[in-house]
Amino acid sequence: MKKAKLSISSALIISCAAVLIGASLFFPWWGMRFVAPQYPEGLDIIVYPNKLKGNIDIINGLNHYIGMKPFSEESFPELSYLPYVIGALAVLTLVVAWLRDKRWLFGLIIVFAFGGLLGLYDLHRWLVDFGTNLSDDAPIKIEPFVPPMFGENRIANFVTNSYFSTGAYMIGAAFLLLILPLWKERK
Amino acid sequence: MKKKWISAISGLAVGVLASTVFFGDFSPKQPTSTASAKTNAEKVYVPFGEKDEYYLFASGGHSGQLFVYGVPSLRRIRTVPVFSLDSATGYGWDEHSKKMLGGYTWGDLHHPALSETNGDYDGKYLFATDVANSRAAVMDLKTFTVKDIISVPNTSGPHCAAFVTENTEYLFLPTRFAVPLGDKYESLDDYSTKYRGVMSAVTFDENEQKLNIAYQVALPPWSYDLSDAGKKVSKDWAVITTYNTEEATTNLEINASKEDRDFIVLFNWRELEKMVKEGKYDTVEGQKVIFPEKHEGGIYLIPVAKSPHGVDVTPDGKRFIASGKLAPLLTVFSFEKAFKAIENKEFAGERNGIPILKYESVMEREVNPENALGPLHTQFDDKGMAYTTMFISSEVVKWDPNTGEVLDRVPVQYSPGHSVAAEGDTVSPDGKYLVSLNKLAKDSYLSVGPSHPESMQLIDISGKMEVIQSAPVDPEPHYGQMIKADKIKTIEVYPKDEKNPYAVFNQKDTRIVRKGNEVHVYGIAMRSKFIFDAKAKRPDVIEVNEGDKVFIHLTNIDRDEDITHGFAINKYNINIEVQPGQTNTVEFVADKAGTYPIYCTNFCSALHQEMTGYLLVKPKQ
Repeated sequence: MKKAKLSISSALIISCAAVLIGASLFFPWWGMRFVAPQYPEGLDIIVYPNKLKGNIDIINGLNHYIGMKPFSEESFPELSYLPYVIGALAVLTLVVAWLRDKRWLFGLIIVFAFGGLLGLYDLHRWLVDFGTNLSDDAPIKIEPFVPPMFGENRIANFVTNSYFSTGAYMIGAAFLLLILPLWKERK
Repeated sequence: MKKKWISAISGLAVGVLASTVFFGDFSPKQPTSTASAKTNAEKVYVPFGEKDEYYLFASGGHSGQLFVYGVPSLRRIRTVPVFSLDSATGYGWDEHSKKMLGGYTWGDLHHPALSETNGDYDGKYLFATDVANSRAAVMDLKTFTVKDIISVPNTSGPHCAAFVTENTEYLFLPTRFAVPLGDKYESLDDYSTKYRGVMSAVTFDENEQKLNIAYQVALPPWSYDLSDAGKKVSKDWAVITTYNTEEATTNLEINASKEDRDFIVLFNWRELEKMVKEGKYDTVEGQKVIFPEKHEGGIYLIPVAKSPHGVDVTPDGKRFIASGKLAPLLTVFSFEKAFKAIENKEFAGERNGIPILKYESVMEREVNPENALGPLHTQFDDKGMAYTTMFISSEVVKWDPNTGEVLDRVPVQYSPGHSVAAEGDTVSPDGKYLVSLNKLAKDSYLSVGPSHPESMQLIDISGKMEVIQSAPVDPEPHYGQMIKADKIKTIEVYPKDEKNPYAVFNQKDTRIVRKGNEVHVYGIAMRSKFIFDAKAKRPDVIEVNEGDKVFIHLTNIDRDEDITHGFAINKYNINIEVQPGQTNTVEFVADKAGTYPIYCTNFCSALHQEMTGYLLVKPKQ
């Protein structure tokens, strides 16, 4: 393969992607909202790369009725290292922009795509874990279930809505920005 | 061409004219939805999902409670226990409330007073007094719970309290019954020399949430009835009505009604404050007591028609209006005139060392609405107009304090004691509603036997006065304060107090600690279980020995809106409440061996019935 330097504009686009990746650390990535007759205002789980927000205690209080394990930041080890992984990815992206090397960009895209899929798989794994490993001692017995990663679901008296949030969209946009130079400078 | 043009225009004009004549609507425009077009039912109806415009805090009299209503619906929202035990909320069983009640099981709650900033309600605190046991209480309007109660020595029955000064610097507690200082025994033959009607100046420390007695004034042995603090120009002053200046000691009905005149006590609390600072006081029963006969200044008497009840300061702070319970007239007094008379020392002698101002030099006018009898209490609207309840003629009379002219009157059923207008005793009354607090409800409601409920009537005062709603009431709301609902900012969940050594926020930290014969339980309540010791075989069981002193510190870790838990022990006479996020403590001696179920009293979830445990008291060997 001929050594092809990427254009300056491509380098700028990749830098933008790096900024987006870095900035996404400060925004929620994914969330779930629960609405029931006695909670018309809704209860939220909001997941950041490094923390959980929302009405976690209240949701845990309710989940114990169906024997679901309590959520806490400690129960997700990812939250402790994800910021570093994402930070490293941002730095790597910046390096790629600076190198302006197409092969590096290819590599980065592969790492990125692989990481993204891994992330989605991880989320799915947790949803399966929490939804199916229900305690046998639960006062209310329900069929094990897997909440969707995206979209609406009904469980007992709660309508749940899972959604990707700002941070995830920023990562998606960053991914598109990484592909853009390849497309722009295609032969 | 030109002709055609003219005929087209004129044709059009004729058409418009004709259509206007035939189809035009010349009837006067009817406004579609004005207050006056609303029926009374519509005016008071608050649909589900909407909320009332005002909170009404009504004193619960000898129930020892405070009643909270919404206005205009007159729906009772809450009963707050203040001076009485209340098993519905566990008030009087947990350590804090037990200590505050100090062994008394009831009180006679009078005259709730909202805290003020610049003469306007600030919605932060509410004060009340106990006529039965001489106490003062403060309730936090964030939680609608009582924070502190103090006993006031040297005094008995602070009836006309509490009233607060313009920035809640003080609440004053003048007493209804004259007693010897220190509650000592003294013969009634020495009434005039040994008895006193002490007034107490109480301060409230917001940070510590504590009431304190700053000083007292040993007023003459008369009965003090109602009072009000000045505003604006009169902000350093306050007025109190007093009867039994006859100093009668028996059959007061006759003997305290002998003289034609009683007094209004006018005092300057800034000057009294200064006297205390300068050491012009005696210490009695640990209190700094000013004796007016020893240290002159700051206190004056104004003659008033006999046996006065109400005395109310106008919103502009310029006048005060006294109502003679037994004299069918109201007197409008002028602060300015009083200040001038004091400056010029226009005194008509003195009583018990206190200078008397001349009635004529303070009085502005006498108002005597035709056939209106028994004027008691005056409230104000946004235009400064006065509304006075007539106890004997059962009506509310509206009149103009500037001219004395009677403007309107409306009958009420029956015998109104006090009334409360929307923010009606502040510097800026709202002028929308007035609630008449009636003493008798004869035949107004379904019968509950010989003792009828009392009655509250809502009067629309925005136009011509009209009674638009009536509600039966437990005995006996006789004074109230009405505050705009949006001024009160309640909390839904107690904030996590990490510094509280008794609080446990994690189930894993629950534990039972034994120290000699003391057992300390650090437990939690959550939907739907108690955990007293997470590591125990049965985490919801407390096992002690007969004779142990047991302390149960319970935290409600459900920090979720409206999830309150109760904690009761069968046959141990124990019942406390833990509101969301709250930590509460109960203390008792396990003096009965046996098995005692523990249960949650406050419905909390579908598994509330299962929220139980046991107290096991092992018998002494």
